[in-house]
Amino acid sequence: MSAGPWWRIGWRNLGRNQRRTLITALGLAFGYFAVVFMIGWAEGLVAEMIENGTGILTGQLQVHDLDYRPERKIYDTIGGREGSDVDRLVATVAADPAIAAAAPRVFVGGLISSGEATRAGLLMGVDPGLEPQVSRLMRGLIAGAAPAAETNQIMIGAEMARQLGVEVGDEVILVVPAADGSMGNDLYAVSGIYRTGMAELDGSYAVLPITSLQYLAALDPNRIHEIAATTTDAWLAPEAAERIAAGLAPLELGVEVEPWTRLRPEMLDYTQLAKGWYFIVIVIVFAIAVFGVANTMLMATYERRREIAVMLALGTTPWRITLTVLFEAIALGFIALVVGAVITFPLLAWWHNSPPDLSWLYGDFTMFGALVRPVLRVEYNFPMAIWTGVALLMTALLAALYPAARASRIPPADTLSGL
Amino acid sequence: MSTFFGVTRMIRTGTLLLALLFLPSGAAAQETARDLIDRVDRLLRGQSSHAVATMEVVTENWERSMSLELWSLGTDYSLIRITAPKKEEGTATLMADDEIWNYLPRVDRTIKIPASMMMGAWMGSHFTNDDLVKESQLIDDYDIEFSYEGARDGVEVWELALTPKAEAAVVWGHIEYQVRKSDTMPTWARYYDEDGTLVRTMTFSDFQTMGGRLVPMAMDMHPEDKPGERTSVRYTELEFDIDIDESFFSLRALRSGGR
Repeated sequence: MSAGPWWRIGWRNLGRNQRRTLITALGLAFGYFAVVFMIGWAEGLVAEMIENGTGILTGQLQVHDLDYRPERKIYDTIGGREGSDVDRLVATVAADPAIAAAAPRVFVGGLISSGEATRAGLLMGVDPGLEPQVSRLMRGLIAGAAPAAETNQIMIGAEMARQLGVEVGDEVILVVPAADGSMGNDLYAVSGIYRTGMAELDGSYAVLPITSLQYLAALDPNRIHEIAATTTDAWLAPEAAERIAAGLAPLELGVEVEPWTRLRPEMLDYTQLAKGWYFIVIVIVFAIAVFGVANTMLMATYERRREIAVMLALGTTPWRITLTVLFEAIALGFIALVVGAVITFPLLAWWHNSPPDLSWLYGDFTMFGALVRPVLRVEYNFPMAIWTGVALLMTALLAALYPAARASRIPPADTLSGL
Repeated sequence: MSTFFGVTRMIRTGTLLLALLFLPSGAAAQETARDLIDRVDRLLRGQSSHAVATMEVVTENWERSMSLELWSLGTDYSLIRITAPKKEEGTATLMADDEIWNYLPRVDRTIKIPASMMMGAWMGSHFTNDDLVKESQLIDDYDIEFSYEGARDGVEVWELALTPKAEAAVVWGHIEYQVRKSDTMPTWARYYDEDGTLVRTMTFSDFQTMGGRLVPMAMDMHPEDKPGERTSVRYTELEFDIDIDESFFSLRALRSGGR
């Protein structure tokens, strides 16, 4: 670097008062840690929200008849009244490289009754073999087992079980308005009780084998309302949806293929909001740091005013003095960055791999209808970590501008004469 | 409220005899709006009744016809049993006080309809469960006034506006009735929501003297938001003041076939 001795002078000035340098660097390093950690935590919350918001029930991608949403009428099955080749459709969706698993579903609103208690519920017919790969609903069993295929078995939520006063093994009556206008009704055995922690699910969703529900609701076996799928990565869902829609187009079934970003736009909006918020955090944290660093640099240059006066008296240009101070600040920034990274990344890795339990601080809560567990879950966001580093160096530089300008304007004669 | 309960309510007599005693039909011109609606409402009530009817439901997605047998006692009890088609034969609905129970012969169980499902459809028709149990009288829940008097399509009629009283627990924003002057028979009732939008229209027709009284033998319900859909009830038999008591309207009777 053609900076000559100025860089070295700046660097060595840091060693002049090592305690002060260390404290200032630690301040910046902590700012770096705070920002990267807060972003990691926010990313963790967002990831948690997306995973639970899509993973418990929705899936990350859904296929419906064009008319199905938002009214969700029993008649609007995929392929219309005639239905479709369900196995082939599910296989087509599952064949996409971004899709981990796909499963067919039937939804019918109905009454679930036991003794004097009757509750309205949403009956969800699932393929007991495929569904657990798509949603976590069936993995949330707290008692009993998932309903077996082709049986009159049903799995209900803990809240509904409480309201109906039933346990595993008890009998419930289902009554549904069937697709032919009749009232489908039959006896079912409660095979299992699940709990997701989300009141609206636990109190209203009941899961039964798809064939059983189709029979109850007078729907032919080739009539389903939905194919739900999980992707290998939630953010691949939009592209996968486009590919699958293109792949299904020749069948002319009149279907829509919707990724979670369109099914749950509020969750996508929140992730965008979070991204904007990250930059605001950076600005706030480093705006505070700027004054601390500026103060330190002012003190450091004031302390050295005689030395600087000598340099100026010996013919050093004010610009060189400015550079020296700026170099000093940048060097300080680098030290802070290294210290910050050394503190931040091991902690981040630790918390990422074993998130601390925060249930002493807050309980489960739901965000946009998605469950969020009380754990300090952090996700890596390397681009933001780099941006934060750049912001740290910019902060150091910005903080040094005023002290550097002042240093360059020290009047040599007056200063040296002790005035 | 003239609703599906109206179906059973209209076949109840008793009080009409009283009404006739105090209000000879010639005096109709002197009646207040309140008296007139009370008379129409009472027309649809009785001490007890038994009827056979068919109900035809036409929706966008399916059409079906059911045969019904109906019994009623006072304003608190009624029972409707489906006698055809075969698939639903024996299915029955019991209304006792404010509760509704359905008997499902296929599984031989009764289920109670929860309060949250009161606005749900009864047996897939355009009548709601609430229509079945609504037992309070129109004059108790509504302020009533004449909105029109004169000829409509060559028939002299009154039209009445029913506005809910402040404290009344009703589901409608307001109701309009048209009543023929000649025999004080209702010809239609229109139900509006709280925004003043017409939700459904019930028309009465085929007036015949059954069991010694003039009653509409046909009623059609048209939901406004689903043009082309309707539920039509046609009476084929109607008798009043039959010999039944409250035990007829018990859960045990519901399960055992109502006999």
